[in-house]
Parts: sequence; C-alpha cells; structure tokens
Amino acid sequence: MSDVPAVIQWLQNSEIGTGIRESVWTFPLVETTHVLALALSVGVLIWFDLRLLGWGMKHTPVSQVHKQVMPLAGIGFIVMFISGLLLFWSEAEKCYLSGFFRAKVLFLVLAGVNAAVFEFTTKKSIEEWDKYPVPPPKARIAGLFSILSWAAVIIAGRATAYNLF
Amino acid sequence: MHFLFPVFKWADGTWLGETIRASRIYFPIIETFHLLALTILFGAVIVLNLRLCRVIMKNQPVQQVAEDLSPWAFWSLVVILTSGFMLFTSEAMKCYASKPFQVKMVFLFSALIFHFTVHRRATRSDREPTLPWGSFVGGVNVLLWLGVGLGGRGIGFL
Repeated sequence: MSDVPAVIQWLQNSEIGTGIRESVWTFPLVETTHVLALALSVGVLIWFDLRLLGWGMKHTPVSQVHKQVMPLAGIGFIVMFISGLLLFWSEAEKCYLSGFFRAKVLFLVLAGVNAAVFEFTTKKSIEEWDKYPVPPPKARIAGLFSILSWAAVIIAGRATAYNLF
Repeated sequence: MHFLFPVFKWADGTWLGETIRASRIYFPIIETFHLLALTILFGAVIVLNLRLCRVIMKNQPVQQVAEDLSPWAFWSLVVILTSGFMLFTSEAMKCYASKPFQVKMVFLFSALIFHFTVHRRATRSDREPTLPWGSFVGGVNVLLWLGVGLGGRGIGFL
C-alpha cells in the first residue's frame, strides 16, 4: 500500500503490532479491556453530563457529582486510551485508511477540547450552581456537547471495527 | 440436542432475523444502539454500587441515588434487551453453538433476578444497608453485569 505513510506501515509491521494482531488471545483481551474501560469512563461521565443538563441525579449538588464521578471517568479514560493505542498499533494501516477511524479521532479531539474548556474555565463557578436545580446555559451546553461527542466516538469506533466502507 | 433448541430454531426463522441477516448495515446499526445503551446502564451500575460500598456519594442516601438513576437505567435496559433480542434472532444458530452466549445468558438472567430482588431491597429501603451487606450486594451486582459484558464480547471473538 503505497498511499500509507511509512510510519503507519512501520507501526503495523513492528514486533509489538504484529504480536498483538496475530496472537489468539492478546487482541481479544485488549479489545475487551478497551470496551469495558469505555463503558466505565463514558458510562460514569454521562451521569455528570446529565446532571449538568438537569436531567439526572437532580438531588445531588453539581459540584458533588463532579467530585465523586470524575476520578472514575479519569481512570477509565486512561485504561481506554492505552488499550486503544495498542489496538491502533496492531491495525495501523486499516485504521489510517478507515474514514470512520478518522471521524472517531476528530470526535475524540472535540470531546477533549470541550472537556478542557469546561475544566479550565466554565467550572470556576461550579459551587455557585449548587444553589439552583439546573446549572447555567454554558454548563448545560458543555454537558450536551460531551454526550453527543462521546456518542459519536462510540458510533464511529464501532463502525471502524465493522470495516463497512 | 438441548431442550431449548426449538427456541433457537424458531428465532432463526423469524421475519425479523431474516431481515437483519439480509442487510449489511442493520446488524451494525442495532449493535451500536446495544452498545450505547449498555454504556449508560454500566455507568449507572458502577455509580450505584460504589455508593452501596460507600466509596462515592457518601452524603447522598442510597435510596435517593437509586431513584435518581433508575429511570435511565430502566430505559437503557429496555433498549439493551430489545436490540439484543433482535441481534439474537439474526444469528440464533451461531448463538446456539456458542459457549460465550450460554455464559452470557446465565449471567444475564442471574443479574436480572438479583437486580430486581436482593439488590432492589438493599437500595430502596429507608434504612441504609450495613457496610458489609451493602458491599456484598454491590460487589455481586457488578460482577454479574461484568459477566454479561465479557460473555457478550466473547460471542464476537470465539
């Protein structure tokens, strides 16, 4: 495949990439870890997003939900990211050529930017929001954007594995 | 032949199963809904059971956390079971021969029964369950759902 950059080919053909791809158990184990870590990180993150929107966990103050849930989401994200890198390593060419994978990376970056903006700016007044049942619009937008971008990551990720197009 | 074989045979021949099989994209689309709903349910299970074990949300009564989560958990479960049944009809004969599928079903029915009996009693009473009992119930509940997830992932691989 001449249209694949050398670094992608090198990754795919490296000892580790080939090892993961060709072993009977490693790929399924890494993939299973990836899916479980995804369910953990996005699964708990969604509760914070729903709280931001005022759609779930209404009886718990926003700042409380954030403090309790985000460390879990963080742990899940780290495991998901590492296992995801290993999967990419083993199928670098397929991923590089897949439109779904490119879309997935794009949505991942969007989710990351949204999270960074929230954590570094929007969140500053989070203690204030505890006084009201529903947080201000900027927080609600962040929550909705997070849910949508993560759903898009999951959909595109699942489609990458099916290799439809 | 297993006594449940006729059930698999019937599912395999349904209009639903045949329709999904005939298309290249129905299965992936249904599976994606299955996965999205599963993510929501898994998150709810983790949050509620960590509360039972008194790891997070210690200032919130268990009952209240359970009530806040329950509509989302319930509807995601409805989506999971519906989409799961659809996927099942499309490859019932494969499932019949699949060890991971059998494992998944055993865990699924155990998880559902446990969830709506012991677990519900522990999370919906006015009195907070004791730490050992709460941790036990929470731990068993997480492990049962984990078994469902691992078995399910195994169907695709083995």
